[in-house]
Amino acid sequence: MTTVLLDTNAYLRLAKRIRPMLGVPFGPKKYTLAVLGDVEAEVHRNAALQFKFPWFDEQVLVEERLAARIRLTAEDKLSIDVAAGVLRDAVLADPLRYMQGSGSPPSPVDCRVLAHGHVRDCIVTTDDLGMHLLAAEFGIRVWHGFEPLKALLNAKAITTPMVKEIYDALEANGDLPATWRKARHVKFSRVFGRSP
Amino acid sequence: MVRILRVEAITQRLQDRGWTQAQLAGAVGVSNQTVTNWLAGSFPRPRALLKLAVTLGLPIDKLVETRDVAEPVVAFRKKAGTRTTDQHINKARGIGYLLKPLVSMLPETRQLRTLITSPSCDYGQLRKAVEQTRSELGIGQHAVLSYNHLIGQFKKNAAILVPVLWGDKGNHENALHIRLPDEDVTFVFLNLDVKIEDFKFWMAHELAHVYTPELAGTEQGEDFADAFAGALLFPHECAEAAYREACGQSKSAMISVLSRYAHEHEVSLNTVYQQVKRFADQAGAQRLAIDDKTIHRVRNSVRAQTVSEALFDPLPPEASNYISAASSVFLSDFFVALGRMVKERGVGAGYIQQVLDVPLKDSMSIHGALVV
Repeated sequence: MTTVLLDTNAYLRLAKRIRPMLGVPFGPKKYTLAVLGDVEAEVHRNAALQFKFPWFDEQVLVEERLAARIRLTAEDKLSIDVAAGVLRDAVLADPLRYMQGSGSPPSPVDCRVLAHGHVRDCIVTTDDLGMHLLAAEFGIRVWHGFEPLKALLNAKAITTPMVKEIYDALEANGDLPATWRKARHVKFSRVFGRSP
Repeated sequence: MVRILRVEAITQRLQDRGWTQAQLAGAVGVSNQTVTNWLAGSFPRPRALLKLAVTLGLPIDKLVETRDVAEPVVAFRKKAGTRTTDQHINKARGIGYLLKPLVSMLPETRQLRTLITSPSCDYGQLRKAVEQTRSELGIGQHAVLSYNHLIGQFKKNAAILVPVLWGDKGNHENALHIRLPDEDVTFVFLNLDVKIEDFKFWMAHELAHVYTPELAGTEQGEDFADAFAGALLFPHECAEAAYREACGQSKSAMISVLSRYAHEHEVSLNTVYQQVKRFADQAGAQRLAIDDKTIHRVRNSVRAQTVSEALFDPLPPEASNYISAASSVFLSDFFVALGRMVKERGVGAGYIQQVLDVPLKDSMSIHGALVV
């Protein structure tokens, strides 16, 4: 089984339409999507996110997140603290490196998510390009937000209309990342056709 | 920047665990020779460094020593009842590191800085320092020190004011001072969601830090900054006049006298009261027959307006209004530099969120206003 850890934005981009989503193995590699408890805290302390994603607190989703939450041992927690410190130190040593093309230096929370990926050997899914750069530097496996969608489609765990629906909704909300846009006619050519 | 492994910490940890170098190499997934090289002075690549830290359970500051880079120096003006933890200090230092790239975007500053070379809380020495500062500002000891005087001093000393809206509760600090020694620049974050009557004192407190960079971040620096702020805003001569006028009057008349002075000087009743008390002690005179509790009760009996309420209507302000106020009221180059970073380097809202310590929504509004 390979755990795919979704960061808050990646989760919010998929969770409304793919149900059930977390904790259900799919595909030959038995990918299993998961989130951290931090997602809960991040949405609940941000009024804008709560307003934009009112479905977040639906009982069924709350229970799904709780059931699929990654459980950590005391040793894991210590290792994650250490790993997050190393990653944040690298960011602060050269923040400009992460600020190209609308990028931002990965925040302490971002570093913790990547640290989870390293310690628990899972794939971190994020659309934050600064996090991708940092992950590449430290050899942490990382996916763009559209990649679990592609894996779900390949495994026939979702249908092509669902992919289209998700893309349309993100586009309508002005929330379609550039990487998703680029992937539309390359990774999802069966859904959207090849580039015109 | 030179980074070296703390070999002693590594060997100590190996000893504690009864591990050989070969076992460490196996656990990290490198050759024995690589570990030998590390212990002889070479520095690991990022992914090996991460594995080494996690394998040994050594936090980065215990594992790596950084040379040739001065750490940002931070000082807080804490809210009442809060305690400063390592987390607060690390967070503030993190902001300091993130501010480093912004410095090259600031206008060149080559002004003659003011320094207080022998800072002391001794009444007589403080009085001299205040006389000198007021003389440089071209105002006498009885004159009201205006906000413009203070703001001008920050500008002259290359201290960048960063007005922020951190709310009246929640955050640990109401002001944050971050000095970057390598860049010789100081950033002073001031929370505008505070009572106007306290704000001038905090600005003067922060100015004291700017005048005494070598004390920044120390207890001694905090004590001096408090003492200097009170004496600068309400000097010996004012305290003496207030004392003589209030002396011998009824308690309520005394409070009226002190309140009038506080109002005239745009400072809190407590600032006037404390300065008068210091004057009396130094002169060997009897203190006014009022106690601290009474002063705080009088202060708290009226709901004071905040700086943000005075500046913005409605609250919270539009991002563009907030940015304009930073430039026009506080003469701050902060958002000018930030705007350049956004436009020239394509920096995103996440950077703004981290350096201003504001919610993502607010940082996105500010980013949107700076892009235009």
